[in-house]
Amino acid sequence: MRTLKGYLGIWLASARYSLVRATMFRGDLFIWALVEFFWISVNVIMVGVIYRHTATVAGWSMYEMLILVGTSMLIQRFLMAFFWSGIYEMGRNVRSGLFDFILAQPGDPLFMASTRKLELDGLINSVVAAGLVVYAASKLGLRPGPGDLALYACMVGCGVVIHYGALVIAMSLAFWITSSQGVEGSYFTLMEFSRLPKEAFKSGLLSVVFVWILPAVVVSNAPARVLLHGFQPLWAAALGAATLGWFALAVVVFRLGLRRYTSASS
Amino acid sequence: MTKYGHAFVVGLQSNLIYRWNFAVRSLFWFFHLVVVFILWGAVFAGKAGIGGFTFAQTLTYFVVVFILQFFIGAFNEDYQISEDIRNGLINQFLLKPINYFAYRLSVFAAARVVSGFFGLLALLAALPFFRGYLDLPHEGWRVALGLPAMALTAMIQFSIAYCFGLLAFWFLEIQGFVILSMAVENLLGGQIFPLDLLPPGVFNAVRFLPFFYQAYFPAAILTGRQGLDFAVQGLAIQAVWAFLLVCLAEAVWRRGLRHHTAAGG
Repeated sequence: MRTLKGYLGIWLASARYSLVRATMFRGDLFIWALVEFFWISVNVIMVGVIYRHTATVAGWSMYEMLILVGTSMLIQRFLMAFFWSGIYEMGRNVRSGLFDFILAQPGDPLFMASTRKLELDGLINSVVAAGLVVYAASKLGLRPGPGDLALYACMVGCGVVIHYGALVIAMSLAFWITSSQGVEGSYFTLMEFSRLPKEAFKSGLLSVVFVWILPAVVVSNAPARVLLHGFQPLWAAALGAATLGWFALAVVVFRLGLRRYTSASS
Repeated sequence: MTKYGHAFVVGLQSNLIYRWNFAVRSLFWFFHLVVVFILWGAVFAGKAGIGGFTFAQTLTYFVVVFILQFFIGAFNEDYQISEDIRNGLINQFLLKPINYFAYRLSVFAAARVVSGFFGLLALLAALPFFRGYLDLPHEGWRVALGLPAMALTAMIQFSIAYCFGLLAFWFLEIQGFVILSMAVENLLGGQIFPLDLLPPGVFNAVRFLPFFYQAYFPAAILTGRQGLDFAVQGLAIQAVWAFLLVCLAEAVWRRGLRHHTAAGG
C-alpha cells in the first residue's frame, strides 16, 4: 500500500511538471490539441461519407458506428495523454543511452519510463471523443444506467491497458534493433482495426487473428456494445483476458529487453 | 555526372541503409490494405456498386493510391530539411554553388526509387490475396496522362514537404504542423476514401485545392474513376499548383534565410 502511495506521489509530481510545462509552451499545446482534433474529425468525416452511400455497415448504423469510432478514439486519446510520450521516447533513449536516467530513478523502470509525461492535448481531445460518444448515444436514444456507464468506463480502462501493452511491446524492440524509428507505426497500424465492427470480419482466419488473438477489435467493440446492448459476458471475459494477457506480455518483453540494455553503447 | 546526379546516387546509397525501415513500412501497408479490404467489403456487402463503382474498382483505387505513395509520396523530407536547419547542416549548402531545393529533390527522387521498389515487393506479396479483386481499365490514354500527373503529384508533395521543413527557420518544433497538415492531406488527398464519394458540391470545391492532386487525381486517372475531359482539365490545374508551390518554396527559402543565423566554424 505504501509502495502504491509512493508511485502515486511520483506520478502526481510528473503530472504537475507536465502541466506547468504545457502552460509554458501554450502555442505547442494548441497545435497538438488541434492535431488530435483534426484526426478525430478525419474519422468522423470518413464515417459520414461512407453512410451517405449506405444505411448500415456490417449491421451497424451510422450512430452506432460513431459510438465505436468515438470509443476507439477515447481509448487512444487516454493512451496519448498518459503514456505516449514516455513510451515513445523510451525507444530513442535506449539507443542514445539516456535510458540510464530512467534506471537511476527510484522506481520500477517500466513505470518510470512510461509515466514521465502527461500530455494535456490528449486529455483535451479525450473530452472531444467522449462528446462524440455522448452525441451518438443521444441520437440513438440510448439511456444507459449507472451500471452500464461504470462498466463502459471500466472497459475503456482495460482498452487503455491493452493499448499500453501493445505500444510497450512495439517500442521495446528498441532493445534489439539499431533504430526504432517508425516502429510506433506498427501500433497505429494494429489499432486501425479497432475502428471496425466485429461483424465486418467475414473470413474466419481474419476474425481469429484480429478479433481474438490481436486485441484491436475487442478493445473498442466490447465497451461500445455495453452502451448499445448492455452487459455481454463473452465480450467482458474476452476483454478481461486480453487486458491481463497483453499487460503481462508487455512486462515480460520489456524485462527481457532490459537485460540486453548495456547503457550508451546499447 | 552533374552534382545533382551525385546527390541522387548518394541518396540511393543512404536510403538503402534504411532498407529495413522501408520493408517494415511495406508490411504496415499490407495490414492497412487488410483494414481497407474489411471495411469497404462490409460497406459494399449486398450492393452492386457505390458511387458508380464496384468493390473491385474501389479496392483497386486504394491499392493504386498506396503504391503511388511509395513512388511519389513525401515521407519524411520535411523532417530531414528541418533537421538540416536546426543542426546547422544547412550552412554547408549556403557556401557552395548548390541549389538546396534541387539537392533535396534529387535525394527525394532517390528515396522514392528505393521505397518504390519495396512498395512493388509488398504489392507482389499481396497480389495472391487481392488479385481477384483488382480491376484496372485498359485505355492507353490513362497511362499517357497518368504518368505526367504522377510527376506533378511528386512535385506538389515534395514542395509542400519542403515548405513545411523550412518552417524550422522560424519554429523550433515543426512536427505538430507536419502531422496537422498530414490529416488534411490524407483526407482531401483521397487516401481515406475516394473523393468522388463526397457530395458533388464539396467535390467540385476540393478539386481546386492542391491536396486533390496529391493522391486522388493520378489514382483516379489510372483506375478509371474519372474520364478524359476531367483528366485534361485536372492536369492543367495540377500544373498550375505545382508551379505555384515551387514558387512558394523558393519564396519561403529566401525569407527563411533572412532569419537564419549561421554559427560556428
